[in-house]
Amino acid sequence: MNAAGTLRRARAGLPGLLVLIALAASVATLVIVAAGGHPPASQAQQVQQIAAGLHCPICKDLSVADSPAPLAQQMRQEIAQKLRAGESADQIRAGFVAAYGDSVLMSPPRRGVTGAVYYLPLLVLAAGLITAFMVLRRWLRAPRPDPPGAGSPPLSATQRRAVAKAVARLREEEPG
Amino acid sequence: MRVPRRRTLLLAGVATAVAIIVTLLTTGLGKDPSVIASPLVGRVAPNFTLPQLDGPPVTLARLRGQVVVINFWASWCTECQVEQAALDRTWQQFQDSGVVVVGVNFEDSTGAARGYVRTESVTYPVVEDSGSQTALAYGLRGVPETFVVNQSGRIVNRVIGPVDAAALASEINSMLRARAQ
Repeated sequence: MNAAGTLRRARAGLPGLLVLIALAASVATLVIVAAGGHPPASQAQQVQQIAAGLHCPICKDLSVADSPAPLAQQMRQEIAQKLRAGESADQIRAGFVAAYGDSVLMSPPRRGVTGAVYYLPLLVLAAGLITAFMVLRRWLRAPRPDPPGAGSPPLSATQRRAVAKAVARLREEEPG
Repeated sequence: MRVPRRRTLLLAGVATAVAIIVTLLTTGLGKDPSVIASPLVGRVAPNFTLPQLDGPPVTLARLRGQVVVINFWASWCTECQVEQAALDRTWQQFQDSGVVVVGVNFEDSTGAARGYVRTESVTYPVVEDSGSQTALAYGLRGVPETFVVNQSGRIVNRVIGPVDAAALASEINSMLRARAQ
């Protein structure tokens, strides 16, 4: 095995190696990005996120984040205070739910009657699709009336005579 | 025979779905979101220690064993003026029977609150909730709102809007009778 042959083989394998390196680099980048996620939100951003998920209790259709009402301001302050005290977003939300009920959440949990509001349209849609399918299937299976003139061709005179003969013979053969 | 049976089932399904939708709409649309029942009713009342306008701070936990009527109010609230006489009457009638009425001033200035107490001749203790933390702990949606706390410290009723003196007296009497038995 000479040096020229070795070099040739190495050159031949080079594109494959480069592709392999590129793939490995891509996968490594994806893993690093996925593991790192987004940079941690600042406390103000966290307050905003939690407040956006809560209904202002004294407003009509405004979140705590959007409401200028003094009570909403107090709620934002309380959220900030609780975050500083080390409470998680879920714990803070649970605290407000304990005092106000599920209605304080901008997206109430999907259980009970609220769950029905989420799932009923899907059920109705499914029922509609099933009904449409059944109606369509029945319609396709139903025998259709023949269009005028599309029946069997009329018998010729010879055929009619043959039929009459056969009928007469059968009648003669009938006992009694 | 299969087809009519299937058709009956289909009709029953559609009728059930329609009935559910109509029930949800009629029950859901008839509700005012502002008068949703408080999840706190039946639970231990959140404790508070708040400064009194004229007197020592009031701590709810120290009133355990007595019926406590906690009334959230503000000087700018016209409905609060409507119920003022009823609350005062309740306090005058029951203060020697183990009942405390506490007015919690909400989103107000100390000066305005003092002025109101003076002009309306409020005789029961009034405390200031300047940070609204107590209001938030009680799930307040506006004023006036009144919570009735029994001798065990549990919230037994929440009244949104002006209280009715007769209804409040009846409720207090039944709690006092139950305690006496």
